[in-house]
Amino acid sequence: MTPTASLVKRLPTEMGGLDAGPVQRAEHEYAPWEKRCHALANVLDIHKIVNTEEKRRGIAALGSEMVAQLSYYERWIVAFANILFQKEILTPEELAKKMNEVAARHGHGAAA
Amino acid sequence: MSSQAHDHVHLPDASDALPGYYEIMETAIRELLVDKKVFDAGEIRQMLEVMDTRTPALGSRIVARAWVDPAFRARLLANGRAAVEELGIDFFENTQLIVLENTDKVHNVVVCTLCSCYPREILGLPPDWYKLKPYRARTVKEPRAVLAEFGTVIPDDVEIRVSDSTSMIRYLVLPQRPEGTQNFTEEQLAALVTRDAMIGVVRASAPAKEKSR
Repeated sequence: MTPTASLVKRLPTEMGGLDAGPVQRAEHEYAPWEKRCHALANVLDIHKIVNTEEKRRGIAALGSEMVAQLSYYERWIVAFANILFQKEILTPEELAKKMNEVAARHGHGAAA
Repeated sequence: MSSQAHDHVHLPDASDALPGYYEIMETAIRELLVDKKVFDAGEIRQMLEVMDTRTPALGSRIVARAWVDPAFRARLLANGRAAVEELGIDFFENTQLIVLENTDKVHNVVVCTLCSCYPREILGLPPDWYKLKPYRARTVKEPRAVLAEFGTVIPDDVEIRVSDSTSMIRYLVLPQRPEGTQNFTEEQLAALVTRDAMIGVVRASAPAKEKSR
């Protein structure tokens, strides 16, 4: 098979049937911002702005490299940003400005 | 395990730690949406409070009720969401709930190969292993081997059914009621039902006395 064919046939988030190691019984306490991210997802869903299927597609659309390297809620928040840009609810400029403002509030130089 | 292995290594938020890039993004998006009156800040706070009330204890209560009340059990198997709502537990996601009954002949286990769909209203947030590659990749291909890694050995003459969740359809496993619990109260029964038993990776716990077997 053409080596890149698997990239075409399988979404970056699609795991079913792949080879993998043993299940590690990993668990962690969710950080406050992770819970807020989840609450944001639920509120966006309730307001019919981003539903679960759009979120799932938004995460798949991040591409395999981001899916592999970002943590779970990091993927969610980046997907939300992209979806909100696509729906013209936010603009990239607004978000960049606001992130600088939030970072400055916490004593960061700029959002790195 | 390369792809998502770092899901579980986040350090707890120290209050004096500077927020990271993604936390700043979360705060910025939330504040912008509040500024634009897409929703108000109180809605996020209320949702956080609701989420805190959603723990596997709700699922355990549902299972114990099904064990003691055959009519409820029938309604639960016919329409999971409606039966759960009867108990005053509301759904905040637009999802259906299918309840899968374990029997002497069938053992059910739930997975989400595509993402991390899970009946959050009644079990809370899923454990990390449910969201990581090994469980999602292998459960649909070699469920017996995966269950054995949880210490659950299913006899060869018992069929294993794997249900793959979607954004619209979530599953809850109704475990078999352990033997030796005829005189248990509903509350005592609920204590035997763990989160993992409702995902289907283990059985309901045996009553303490009989644990020696």
